[in-house]
Amino acid sequence: MTPLVALCMSLFGVGFYGVLSRREIIGVLASIEIMLASANILLVGLARLGGAPAVDGGRVEAVGMTILVVAAAEAAVGLALLIAAVRRSGRQDVEEFMEVQG
Amino acid sequence: MSLLGADIAFWTLAAVAVASAVVVVLVRETMRMALGLGTLLLATAGLFVYFGAGFLAAAQVFVYVGGVLVLLIFAIMVTRRSGEGVPRLSSRHDPVTFLMCAMLSGAAGWLLLRDVPPAAAGRVSGGPEAVAAAFLGPMVGQFELLGVLLLAALVAVISVVGGERR
Repeated sequence: MTPLVALCMSLFGVGFYGVLSRREIIGVLASIEIMLASANILLVGLARLGGAPAVDGGRVEAVGMTILVVAAAEAAVGLALLIAAVRRSGRQDVEEFMEVQG
Repeated sequence: MSLLGADIAFWTLAAVAVASAVVVVLVRETMRMALGLGTLLLATAGLFVYFGAGFLAAAQVFVYVGGVLVLLIFAIMVTRRSGEGVPRLSSRHDPVTFLMCAMLSGAAGWLLLRDVPPAAAGRVSGGPEAVAAAFLGPMVGQFELLGVLLLAALVAVISVVGGERR
């Protein structure tokens, strides 16, 4: 259990650091994907190591696939916003979009 | 698989995952970042196989590596300006940020280890049939909501990107 939690928290911490430190939107999106992957690994690993019976195995994988689909939808929308932002301003620096205009 | 072989597989996949995550966060070239992300996603699929969720691992490769990563590369190509050299990434490295992330991860890990019961043998995968039975049985509402979410994401992407054209 400890190695699994250590792995997932390491990945989450690295992804979180990437979200905070990267200047470009594409770097932030990739770091968010790292965080989502760590959450998915933790979910599946805890179900495996926590003794989930085989009859519930379908539910665990179904929840994992739910996270997968949500992550894919988030990535698609985030990349669309990235393309729109670059078309508007020509840059993808996160600090360019600190002010929200109505 | 013997216990030693299982341990070697886990630690190898874990090392590859963490190393590729570090590459994604630190590297300066965009395509290398994309390759690092692809390696991380493949290592994640390998960990799913290790935990007995083979169907989820296949879905991870199809959807994430084959879909999301390709979409990311398309976005890199589309947002690259003509005449620009190799696209470069930059970061604001700050020790306070690093310390905060490390403390947050450590605190979350400590809370998990404190509250999660000790490990016991178990299986995750019931195979594709079990996943289908779950999605079309007790989780049918969730399954339908996923379809709505994907439709909403598709409409959002078209309205954000397609609406820019004049």
